[in-house]
This record gives sequence, structure tokens and C-alpha cells, in this order.
Amino acid sequence: MDLSLITFVQILVAVIAIICLMVANAVVMVYVERKVAGFIQRRPGPYEVGPWGTIQAICDSMKLLAKQIFVPANVDLVLFFLAPVLAFFPVLLLFLPIPFGPYLTPWKTPDGLVLILAFAGFGVLSNLLAGWASNNKYGVLGAARAVSQSIAYEIPLMLALMAVVFQAGSLNLSVIVEKQGWVPWEWNIVTQPLAFFIYLICLVAETNRAPFDLPEAESELTAGFHTEYSGMGFALFFLSEYANMLLVSFICATFFLGGYKGPIIDGFWWTIIKAYAVMVFIVWIRWTFPRVRFDQLLNINWKWLLPLGLLNLWITAIIIKVVN
Amino acid sequence: MRMDKEVVNPIIDTILGSITSGLNSLQASMEPYLPELSWVAYLAFAIYVLIILAGGFMSILCRNLVRAMMGLVLTFLGVAGMYLLLASPFLAFMQLLIYVGAVCVLIFFAIMLTRNVSDGEEAHWPTLGALGYGLLALLAPLGVIGPLIIMHAGKIPVQVPVENPTGELGEGLLSDYVLPFELISIILLVAMAGAVYLAFRGFGPEKSKRHSK
Repeated sequence: MDLSLITFVQILVAVIAIICLMVANAVVMVYVERKVAGFIQRRPGPYEVGPWGTIQAICDSMKLLAKQIFVPANVDLVLFFLAPVLAFFPVLLLFLPIPFGPYLTPWKTPDGLVLILAFAGFGVLSNLLAGWASNNKYGVLGAARAVSQSIAYEIPLMLALMAVVFQAGSLNLSVIVEKQGWVPWEWNIVTQPLAFFIYLICLVAETNRAPFDLPEAESELTAGFHTEYSGMGFALFFLSEYANMLLVSFICATFFLGGYKGPIIDGFWWTIIKAYAVMVFIVWIRWTFPRVRFDQLLNINWKWLLPLGLLNLWITAIIIKVVN
Repeated sequence: MRMDKEVVNPIIDTILGSITSGLNSLQASMEPYLPELSWVAYLAFAIYVLIILAGGFMSILCRNLVRAMMGLVLTFLGVAGMYLLLASPFLAFMQLLIYVGAVCVLIFFAIMLTRNVSDGEEAHWPTLGALGYGLLALLAPLGVIGPLIIMHAGKIPVQVPVENPTGELGEGLLSDYVLPFELISIILLVAMAGAVYLAFRGFGPEKSKRHSK
């Protein structure tokens, strides 16, 4: 690693841009989520505040900022406030190795995927801390669910991504995009359909969203691990949830959908269009499927996704060996 | 229809090139005022050592189990920083992935599954015998490593570490170091079998049959 001014400025600018992206994304996605939910359930969704309800999300975030930060009795204060911070800040680092455009890669590290997987672990840790520190049995139950779920689903997720890594021969996300063509049949989704399918399921589970939103299942656990958080604490969890969604969508676009490559002219607009298509798909899933039971959730993972992922990796390795 | 790269790239290249050269000249003009690179490395080393020590003390002195575990996380972060300083980012990220993302989370899980007595009110001072054993455990590695350090002190030239590409690490694991690599996996397999055995010993034949359904 060289300590040059250029790298420093590059990463600084990138981090600031990523923070703006995260906040803007949360505001946009709240509106999209409520509107899509409305269309799916045949109701208008938000429509009172501003034209077509577009200012609703901004009003909601203003309300969150102004809310009282309520601290329940007998909580571990340090850990209680550490948890939302730990949920929010590592997510910033996760966006660094993603190639948004041919020139727009914040940090071209050869171990990009490992960096993403390494810092993703902090998200689980923050959920655990939040559930444990808030001294609430629903919180603890939600945290226990969060950990068994995300540890389980991390494995098939890695296996699915590893198949693509085998194919590209690199952990560098820019190289993985470069190995794909600009037309849809040259994308990895064609060569790795099973990996794409496994990744899609794991992506929903890793971001704790319905139908796998057991850590915060409202009907059973009020709000799971963030039951006791209000005001900015809750807002940080909320931001990091949407940022995680954005991140897995960007990874999906990079690994399977050709990244920044597309017709007419390559550029970051293709990455963003593809990532938001995946996001809308995630929202669509949420409002279409009912929540699974916890044993079903773990059975899907250990009895189906994990063997399928291993099989896929094995077949990929054999084909690569034969072709080369 | 698709625009060729040749049309767009030169424009962006000139813009990026001017920014890069401007920053480079700025850095060149600042060069006399900047500290030497070795001093930056020493400073980073000191910070990481402080983080590791603080985390270690936190993890043994805190009575609350979860806070002690946060100390452990801090230590692992410091160790990952040391790996970065040794120019091996792959190892640093793996350290975070395995120790923070998996080991610590599992320890936390175990804490939460036990009864809620993690405030340490059952803690007491260790007996003299236990203290003796602890001292022995501290001295044993010191006795092995200490003479080595004294023998080789000042003999090994300090050099800037070289960054190895990850591919070479993988090739090394599957060629020169294939035996240790496989042995480690056997150890893990034995540990896993042991854990499964321990978990199922509690069930009778009927209960275990019902459980397996």
C-alpha cells in the first residue's frame, strides 16, 4: 500500500460520497418501498404530503431527527450506544471496493471481496449488541435469531460468490466486471444461474428482510433487536439496513449482471440501474411472500442452499479445469 | 449501437490526469514538511500495540462478560492492523472475517444462551494455586520465545515487508504447505465430530430419533 496523497484524497472523497449515497438511498427507498407496497396491495400508498407523496420520506426523517432519545432503565449505556454506531460505520467501508464505473472505483484493492465479507461481520455483531444491551427479552430473542440466521446464510452466500471468483480468477471486483461482456448473454448470470439463485435467496436473508425478517418479526417480537431504540439510534439502524440492501444489490450487479457494462456507453448509470432493479425486486419479494418459520428458515439453508452451493462450486471447478 | 471506448476515454483521461498531476505536485511541494515513512510506521505500530493491550486488559478485567468480549474484538482489530502494517491485507481481512465475524459472534451466542448471569457477581479472587498455574502458563511461551528473541536481536535486518499476491498464498497452501493445510482440516473435522457427539449424548435413543426428524 502506498501512502500517497492521491490515495488519501480518493478515499476521503469516496467516503463522503458514500455517506451522501447512503442517506439519499434511504430516503428514496422508503418512498419506493411504501409506493410499491401500496401498488401490490391495491392501495395508493403515501399521497398526501407533496406531489404523489414524494416529500413523505423527508418529513419522516425530520420527525426521526426531532424525536426524544429514550433510554430504558438498567441498560448497559456504553454498549447501548455503541451498537447503532457499529451498525452504521463499517457499512461505509463495504462500498470502497465496488466498481461503480470504469473510472469510479473508490479503492481498487486486489482483495475486494474479502474486505466486503470481513467488514460485513460487524453488522451481526451490532445486532447482537443492540439486542443484549437493551435489557429486553424481545431484544435478546431477536438478536439470537439474527446471529443464527446470518451465520448460516453467510456460508452459501460465500459459496455462490466463490463460483464467480473461480470463473474470473480474481477477488478484485473490477476484474470480475471486466471479464463480463456488455450484452446480457455475456453476463455471469448466464454461466452461473444456480449461484445467482442461491445468492438472491441469501441476499434477502442476510439483510434481514421479509420473508426472512425473523430478527425483527413485528408480530412476534415487537421490533426484535431494535425494540428499545428511538430517535437517532433507530435512524442509524434504519440507515444501515437500507445501506446493506444497497450494498448487496451492487454486489449482485457487479458479480452477476455485468456491473457498469451495458449498451450504448459504459458507465456508473448502468451499475445504478441494475442495482436499483435488484432493490425493487427485494421490495417486491417482501410484499409477496409470507414470513417463514424459524425451523423452515434454517432447513432451507442447511439442507438445500449449502449442498447446492457446494455442488455448484465443484462443477464450476471441474469445468474450469477441463476448459483450460 | 455502442459507443467505442476510444471516443470517451481520452476526455476522462485528460481530466483525471490533470487532477493526478496537480495532487502529485502538491505532494512533492509538501515533501520536506512530511515525516519520514518509517516514522509513520513506528507510530502505527505504537497505536496498534496500544489497541491490542487495551483490548486485552479490557477482556480480562471487565466483570461483565459481554464487555469482556468487546475487549476481545478490540484486540482482534489491533492484530488485523498489525497484519496491514506487515503489508498483508488478505490476512488482515481474514482475521476480521474469521475472528470478529465468526468466533466472537459465536462466543456472544454462547453467552446469550446461558442464564442471564453475565454481570460477574459470581466472580471471586483466584486461589494461590490457580495464580501459580496462570504464572506458569505465562512463563512457558516466554521461556521458548525469549531466548530466540535475545539470540536473534539485531541480527535480522529490518526491511520493508513485501506484499504477496493472494494467488501465491493459495498456490503455497496447495504445494509446499499442503500437509499442514490438510492436517488443520483434520483437526477441525475432529473438533466438529466431537461437538456433534457431545450435543447428541444428552438424547436417549428415542429422543435422538425424534430429534433427527
